[in-house]
Amino acid sequence: MNKLFSVSDVNLSYGDKHVLKDINIDLYKNKVTAFIGPSGCGKSTFLRCFNRMNDLIDSCKIDGTILMENKDIYNKKYDVVDLRTNVGMVFQKPNPFMMSIYENVAYGLKCSGIKDKKVLKQRVINALKQAALYDEVSTRLNDSALSLSGGQQQRLCIARAIAMKPEVILMDEPTSALDPIATAKIEELIEELKKDFTIIIVTHSMHQASRISDYTAFFLNGEIVEYDITKNIFQNPKDIRCENYITGRFG
Amino acid sequence: MRKIKDYILNAITYIASGISVLILGVLLVYLLVNGVKSINLKMFSDDYWAKNYLVEVDSDSRNFDSKYNGDDYYIKKYDIAIKDDDKEIVVTYIGENSQFNELKSLTVGDSLGMITPFDVGYKIESIEYLDSNGVISIGGVLLKHNAIEVAQILNENHVNSIYYQSTSGGIKASIINTLILIFVSLLIATPISICSAIYLNEYNSKNKFNQLLSVSIETLAGVPSIIYGLVGITVLFPVTQLFGATTTSVLLGALTMAVILLPTMIKATQVALAQVDQGLKDASLSLGATKVQTINKVVLPGAMNGILSGLLLCVSKVIGESAALVYTMGTFISDTPSLTNQGTSLSLMIYSIMSNDNPNFELACAISLIILVIVLVLNISVKLINYKFNKLGQR
Ligand SMILES: Nc1ncnc2c1ncn2[C@@H]1O[C@H](COP(=O)(O)OP(=O)(O)OP(=O)(O)O)[C@@H](O)[C@H]1O
Ligand SMILES: [Mg+2]
Repeated sequence: MNKLFSVSDVNLSYGDKHVLKDINIDLYKNKVTAFIGPSGCGKSTFLRCFNRMNDLIDSCKIDGTILMENKDIYNKKYDVVDLRTNVGMVFQKPNPFMMSIYENVAYGLKCSGIKDKKVLKQRVINALKQAALYDEVSTRLNDSALSLSGGQQQRLCIARAIAMKPEVILMDEPTSALDPIATAKIEELIEELKKDFTIIIVTHSMHQASRISDYTAFFLNGEIVEYDITKNIFQNPKDIRCENYITGRFG
Repeated sequence: MRKIKDYILNAITYIASGISVLILGVLLVYLLVNGVKSINLKMFSDDYWAKNYLVEVDSDSRNFDSKYNGDDYYIKKYDIAIKDDDKEIVVTYIGENSQFNELKSLTVGDSLGMITPFDVGYKIESIEYLDSNGVISIGGVLLKHNAIEVAQILNENHVNSIYYQSTSGGIKASIINTLILIFVSLLIATPISICSAIYLNEYNSKNKFNQLLSVSIETLAGVPSIIYGLVGITVLFPVTQLFGATTTSVLLGALTMAVILLPTMIKATQVALAQVDQGLKDASLSLGATKVQTINKVVLPGAMNGILSGLLLCVSKVIGESAALVYTMGTFISDTPSLTNQGTSLSLMIYSIMSNDNPNFELACAISLIILVIVLVLNISVKLINYKFNKLGQR
């Protein structure tokens, strides 16, 4: 199995608040890894470390190393823009830009300097197809993205991310704002995407984690308590805190 | 107990807002009563100062199929009508083919022989004509002739020359000056404000210098505008000299106005920028867009409504400003608007009219009414823009 990320001794704090404590973990290529744990334990914070979105927060301090294919992504020489092109992100709340559906998907491509209209169009269409949205929007690519339903908007955000052909897609509770049917569609989609991308997903739904992920990491108070193949975590968790959380006894 | 307290608080709110509405209403009624009579469409195209013309008129008889059916004194020979108006003789009708549409100037100089403007409302001062004995005579207001007599003279005698006066009290030049003022001051203030606001909001790491900057901007917003006027005339006057201004000028007023607008505009832009959803900025950055791209493509378009309403607020600020402009634009009402000459905006014009030897109160009220209506419309547009913006944001 191929290691994609190798995280060692990561500590992160917002001002005086120590949020991630001595994190050590390896994440694998073309697998779905789920981060679970009670609210406020640092899952989102850790997820945002992989595309350095925490850089935007002034008070945030991070040490330790995160290697992506043996390169330290926090090295000064590592270009953040390159990193973010390579590591896409889907957020909890669907956040399409106030532009047309087409422009939303083309946004990242245009920013990265692709100008050729044909290439753009092809990549937009491919991304929409890959995100299982194309059939629903093919006739109205020029309509405002805000005219889509919540579930469609979220798939648009996924399309927008995969249009960049990243290696990794980070998803922070991508279905928590959606109804069960839209959720099922996204879960199906993740199943598909797994072939081409490495996916790291934060979720509060135990069912979701057990259904779609290959690996699961259980977080508690900024530490990784248990990390294993999903089946092991859900069938015989080693740590009692993990077991309690999964069975719904706390959190 | 709590109910009573709520009741009292509610009552206070109602009374307070009632009073504001009342004040606005009284103001409107007052201006309407005093000013509405002097508002007419012509004042928007007229000059402020009356002009005098000495002209000759073609006396050959023409055939008119006149449509005139009013009660004033009709002059068949020229197809015009006149009437008495407070010791003046005023033109009330000019036929389509009247000779008076092609009066030729007799004033020595460049305009000699040129066709002069002649319009309803103009006043006929005097006429030089050959009387029935072939002697040159003078008729008109100077000789206490009234409209009947003047009509008779015009109808029956060969006219050598006519001396007349155009209407006055128009606000055309002041309107144009106000527009120039708005355009130039916003042209300067807007880009500077947007850049500063972007710097302060998006690049501002919270260091001492930037905090000082923010505090200074807020302080500047509270400085009375008359002080800007004083500073403008000493600091900005040399700048306008480069453009050829020799006195205070519309340009100097616009530059000063731009400075006055800066704090307001920066603040408005900052608020607009802050309202842009952080989620959209994150999304843009997470797609590998640079900060500059994110600002250009996501932040600025998202803040556009707020910036636009800031602009409209600035426009009404320019229209309403007078103190700072007294020093920088002068108070001389000029009929030839130009960047590098003195001139008045609408508000300044009120000041100017009212500080004349014989203040024209009705005209001042009419202009006030116009200003009030414009400001009202601008404020309502701001409200509408914000309303639409908020509705969009909720989706
Ligand atoms: N920008 C920030 N500044 C300061 N503290 C923050 C910031 N973002 C998060 N925190 C704190 O860091 C801790 C971890 O937050 P994080 O969002 O990573 O939790 P989470 O596990 O994703 O929770 P949830 O499941 O509710 O999303 C929380 O205590 C939170 O208050
Ligand atoms: Mg979270």
